[in-house]
Amino acid sequence: MFLRLRLPLLLTLLAGLVPVVAFFFKDEARAVKAPASWLEQDMIIVAGFALLLGVVNVVQSNMKKIERRDKGWFFAVVLLGGMAVTGLVGALGAFRIGGLPGIGNYPDGRPTPFAWCANYLFTPLQATMFSLLAFYIASAAFRAFRVRNVAATILLVAAVVVMLGRIPVGEGVFGRFTEWLMQIPNGAAQRGIIIGAALGAASLSLRVILGIERSYLGLDKGE
Amino acid sequence: MAKGIAKLQTIDRRWIFLLIALGTLIPIVLPIGFPVTITPPVKSIYDLIETFGPGDVVILSYDYGPTTGAENDPMADAILRHCFSRDVKVVALALYPLGGLTSLSNSLNRVTAEFPELEYGVDYVNLGYKDGGQASMKLLADDFAKAFPGDTNGRPLAEIPLMQQIKGAREAKLAVSIATGIIGEWWANLINAQFGLPVAVGCTAVSAPKYYAYLEAKQMIGLIGGLKGASEYERMVKEGYPATREAYANPLLQTASKGMDAQTIDHLIVIAFIVIGNIAYFASRRGKGQA
Repeated sequence: MFLRLRLPLLLTLLAGLVPVVAFFFKDEARAVKAPASWLEQDMIIVAGFALLLGVVNVVQSNMKKIERRDKGWFFAVVLLGGMAVTGLVGALGAFRIGGLPGIGNYPDGRPTPFAWCANYLFTPLQATMFSLLAFYIASAAFRAFRVRNVAATILLVAAVVVMLGRIPVGEGVFGRFTEWLMQIPNGAAQRGIIIGAALGAASLSLRVILGIERSYLGLDKGE
Repeated sequence: MAKGIAKLQTIDRRWIFLLIALGTLIPIVLPIGFPVTITPPVKSIYDLIETFGPGDVVILSYDYGPTTGAENDPMADAILRHCFSRDVKVVALALYPLGGLTSLSNSLNRVTAEFPELEYGVDYVNLGYKDGGQASMKLLADDFAKAFPGDTNGRPLAEIPLMQQIKGAREAKLAVSIATGIIGEWWANLINAQFGLPVAVGCTAVSAPKYYAYLEAKQMIGLIGGLKGASEYERMVKEGYPATREAYANPLLQTASKGMDAQTIDHLIVIAFIVIGNIAYFASRRGKGQA
């Protein structure tokens, strides 16, 4: 019980409380600031493990897809192959194995294998995926923006004004109104969303720090 | 007649795709050169950097990846050109995991090639990518070395002349985050709010609305929103520093100004289709009413 429940709760309490307390002290208070800084450095390491967890998850789910010969299983092979090759050349570069100078370019400007994968495979593929949005947004705007009721009309008018106000041929007429729309109505709504989300995050953090929220421990109900 | 117009509602969407493709391709191949008007959120960043001189340090964080490179690359490049033209030192880093380092390295390579007098480690430094988001950001505010023990090539920061001049980000004059997603917000609500460092964000157009809340709250000194903002910054850099015009005249360089031409045409196409869609919608309702 101690290792599975009390110790994790105690560690959570300390990890959550120390940075909060340190926030209220000046830099000179080393006794409080140093542990907070140490925890922040630890968080970078933990974040690294989170990436590793993501890799494990991708491998597991795609291996299952290949084993079951699910629809599109061949793409899972491409994904795992690409990940393995990129990961390998990245690791070789990072540890400077085989005369590689790192994961960037050679001193003469030639790309290392990892930089080549990033520049000539990853970058164009990612850019292509995002570029497709332009086509789908145009099609969706044509089908969805209808003057059906008051709310839809306000949305449509605002969208058209902002679209015109953000291009050279329309900013002379709509530019100022667009800026007003963005600063005042949009700013007010965004502020409400941000404050609401921050209060939610703060209350959840407090529940975790105080041990009220324990679902992250992965224990069964009642433990 | 009304029936014929109403049929437009079911127009094959491939026509829309074709027009968008042409509206994007033609202005990129044959730039039109629509003039852009400078807006206050973009000008305030330019004006602040104009007050900096040799020895001042700007942090440029590449918090985006290749997905949004078409919008974000021109912003980062323009900020770099502006800083280097004024002999302002740049500490460049990346906090975005999906290609932030690639964007950072490519942008630095592209722009530093235009300034052969610059010396790595003295005028600029590439700290590379660091995972950990807010934790890394908070650490580098006090001491870069705590988050980035070495630069992107593993060279210890203590051996880099520029990093001997500046210990932590809070000693810089300005932090500019070129961001997609939430990382730009962290610069505003963590680095600016806790350490008082002026923060500016260059973001994609789709994420610009949320940054207006920070801009209005004075947690950011300026905002470069989407291609429009980037083209405004490009215009100011070109007008303020004629030497940069040569770089921008390169037909192979993807600039925000060229992108704005395509965006202008595409916006007009989208608006035209919205109007057509609504005319068809009303025609169909009228047709139903008559029936």
